[in-house]
Amino acid sequence: MEISADRDGNTFYLNMGPQHPSTHGVLRVILKMNGEYIQEAECVLGYIHRMHEKIGESMFFSQFYAYMSRMDYLSAMAYNHGYTGLIEKMAGIEPPLRAEYIRVITVELNRISSHLVWLGAYLLDLGAFTPIMYAFDDREMILDLLESITGSRLTYSYFRFGGVCKDIDEDFIRGTRAFIKKMRSRLKMYDTLVTKNVIFIGRVKDIGIISQDMARRYGATGPVLRGSGIEYDIRKNEPYSVYPEFDFDIPTGSTGDARDRYLVRVAEIEQSLRIIEQALDRLPDGPYRTEIPPFIELEPGDCYFPVESARGEFGIYLVSNGEKRPYRMKLRTPSFSNLSLFNELTKGYMIADAVSILGSLDLVIPEIDR
Amino acid sequence: MNKNEYYKKYSCYDKESPYHDVCAVDPAVVNLPVVQEIIDLFRANSLWPLTFGLACCAIEMMACGMARFDIARFGAEVFRASPRQSDVMIVAGTVNRKMAPALVRLYEQMPPPKWVIAMGNCAISGGPFNVQDNYNVIEGVDKLIPVDVYVPGCPPRPEGLLEGIFKLQQKLAGKRLWPVAELKE
Amino acid sequence: MSHDALKQAIQTILPEAVKDSSYNETGHHLDITVSSESLVQLVEVLDQKGFYLVDVTAVDLIPEIEVVYHFALWQKLYRIIVRAYIPRNHPEIPTISHIYPGADWHERETFDFFGIKFLNHPELKRLLLPEDADFHPLLKKESLLEKVEAVRSGFRKGGCRITYGD
Repeated sequence: MEISADRDGNTFYLNMGPQHPSTHGVLRVILKMNGEYIQEAECVLGYIHRMHEKIGESMFFSQFYAYMSRMDYLSAMAYNHGYTGLIEKMAGIEPPLRAEYIRVITVELNRISSHLVWLGAYLLDLGAFTPIMYAFDDREMILDLLESITGSRLTYSYFRFGGVCKDIDEDFIRGTRAFIKKMRSRLKMYDTLVTKNVIFIGRVKDIGIISQDMARRYGATGPVLRGSGIEYDIRKNEPYSVYPEFDFDIPTGSTGDARDRYLVRVAEIEQSLRIIEQALDRLPDGPYRTEIPPFIELEPGDCYFPVESARGEFGIYLVSNGEKRPYRMKLRTPSFSNLSLFNELTKGYMIADAVSILGSLDLVIPEIDR
Repeated sequence: MNKNEYYKKYSCYDKESPYHDVCAVDPAVVNLPVVQEIIDLFRANSLWPLTFGLACCAIEMMACGMARFDIARFGAEVFRASPRQSDVMIVAGTVNRKMAPALVRLYEQMPPPKWVIAMGNCAISGGPFNVQDNYNVIEGVDKLIPVDVYVPGCPPRPEGLLEGIFKLQQKLAGKRLWPVAELKE
Repeated sequence: MSHDALKQAIQTILPEAVKDSSYNETGHHLDITVSSESLVQLVEVLDQKGFYLVDVTAVDLIPEIEVVYHFALWQKLYRIIVRAYIPRNHPEIPTISHIYPGADWHERETFDFFGIKFLNHPELKRLLLPEDADFHPLLKKESLLEKVEAVRSGFRKGGCRITYGD
C-alpha cells in the first residue's frame, strides 16, 4: 500500500484509549495518522498490571493456583495445566491415567469456548450483531457442563497436583456427547452465516499479512503463526500429558492474512471435537487423584514447561531455591509476543483495517500485563 | 420528601460526601419532589450502562447481555460506549494506579444523575490482589468514586449482576419491581 | 543440523561454557553461559540457524543479576537457554533487538522490573508500571542473602525430588 506524502497539517495523533467498545480489555494504542492511513501505532500497556510475578514469589505452590486462571480467563484450564505440569515435572509426581484423560477433555472444551468468544467479539468489532448471540449461546452449553464438575463458570481452579479435584460422572459424559453432536451442526451454520459472507470476506481478505520470517523474529505462536503456514503446535511438536495417543490434525493457512487466521481457529474447533470424542471413548477407570501433602518443597534448580493454550505457547519458567515458595516465577504469555507485531504490521493500513487486525490477533490484555 | 431523602438516592449531588470534589454538581433549578418520584420510576426501568469491562468480570457482563440472561428485559437495553449517553457505570474488573485517572475522568464526564455498580471482588476491595506486596492495585473502587451497589463474586454469576440492577432499581423507585427467585426443592 | 553439530558450531565461535542439559528435568537441550560482550555474536549464530525467540527475563541473585534468554526451533523439538551474569550495582548488557525485534518489549519489561539497562536499545522506557514509578519491584531485599546461596550452588543440578514439609 502506498502512504501518501506527508503534507503539512495532515498528520495527527489519535488515541484508541483504554476504554473502548471492542472488548479485548484495557489496551491503549496511540496512532499517528496521516489522513486515514496509519503511519505508526504505539501500544501503551500496564492498565491492568496486577503483579502476578511478584505475588508468585510470596505464595506457597498450592496457594498460587487461583491466580493462574485470572491471567487468561478464557482458557483458564490450559493455564492450570501448565502450572500443574510444571510442578509435577519438577517434583516427579505421576498423576493417574484417568486424571490425564479428564484433564484433556476439560482443556479441549475450554479451548472451544475460548474460540467461540473470540468469534463473537471479532465479528462484533466488524459490525455484525448476530453471530455473537449464537456463539455465546453455544458457549453456555459448555459452561453448564464445566460448572457441574468444577463449580465455576469462568475462572476454574480444577486441577490439583497429582490429579483433578473431582471426578466426572455419567451426566457429564452424556451431556458432552450431546454437545459434540450439536456443535457439529452449528459449525455448518457458522459456515454459511459468516465464512461465505461477502462483506466479511471484504473486511478480512489480504489484511494484516504476517510473513514467516516476521513471525519468527517476534516469537509469535498459536493461530497467528499457523495462519502463515507453519505447522507448529506444542501438542504435536512437544507432546505432554496423553496427547500422543490422540489422532488430530493441525490446520494451517497459506497466506497469513486475517482470513486465514479465522479459518484456522474455526478448523481448530472441529479438531478439538475429535479429540474429545476419542478421549471419551477411551476413558479408563481408576482413581482420579493421588494424595500429595499440602506443602511441597522442590530442590534447587530451574525448569521450563510449555503448553498450548488457545492463543499460543504458554510457558512457565520457575527458579526454586529449596523452599516452599518459588524464588522466581516467569510467565511467558502468547499474547505478549503476538501484540509486539502490531506496530510493524499496521503501517499503511486504514484505521478500520487496524481494528480488524487487532481482533484477528486474539488478544486478552490481562495476560499481557500479568 | 425533604432534601435529605432526595440526596440519598443521588450520591452525585451530595455536597457533604467525601467525594464532593469528584462529583460537585448542583441538581436542577426547578425540581418538585412529587414529579421527581414519578420520573425516578421511569429512570429505574431504563438504565443504560457504560461499557467499562476491564478484566474477567467483563466476560460475565457480556454474557449477561446475551440471549440466556437477557438484561434488555429489565431496561438496560444498550451498552453505550460514550459516557455522555449513559446512566450507570458498571465497574467490572481490577482498577490500577495507571487506570485510576481514566476512571475518574469517565465518571466526571457522565451527566448526572448517575450511579455506580461495583461488580466483582476486585472492584469492591481489591479482591485476590489485596496482598502485602501490593504496589499497583487500588483496593476498592470506592476509594475514588461513590458506589451505590456492590455485587460480590469472583466473577459473580450473571444472575448476581441482575440482582445488583434490581437493588439499584429498588433504590430509585422505592420498592423492588421484580419477584424474588425462590429455591426449587 | 543435529545436536552435536550445533554444539560444535557454537563452541568454535565462542569457547564459553556450553553444557548439555537433561530435557526431562529442565525442559532444555542445551545450556549456554556467555559474557555480556559475546552475547550478540551468539545470538547472530542462533538467528542463522533459524531459532525463534521465546523469552527474555532476569533473576536476581545477589550480588549479581542473571539475564536469561530462551530460544526454540519450529522444525524439531530443541530448546536452548542462554545465561549472562551482570553485576547488580551496575547492570548493563547489550541489546539484541536489532536481530530479534520481538526482544524490544521483553527488554523493556526486564528494565521495568529489575532496572537493567540495555545498551543501544531504541527506546528504553517503562512498559507496565506507571511512568513516574521510581522503584523496580522484582529486586530482592538484601536480607535474603542466605537463601540465594541455595539457588546459586544448586544450579543446573537437575534431579528434583519432593520433600515432605510440615
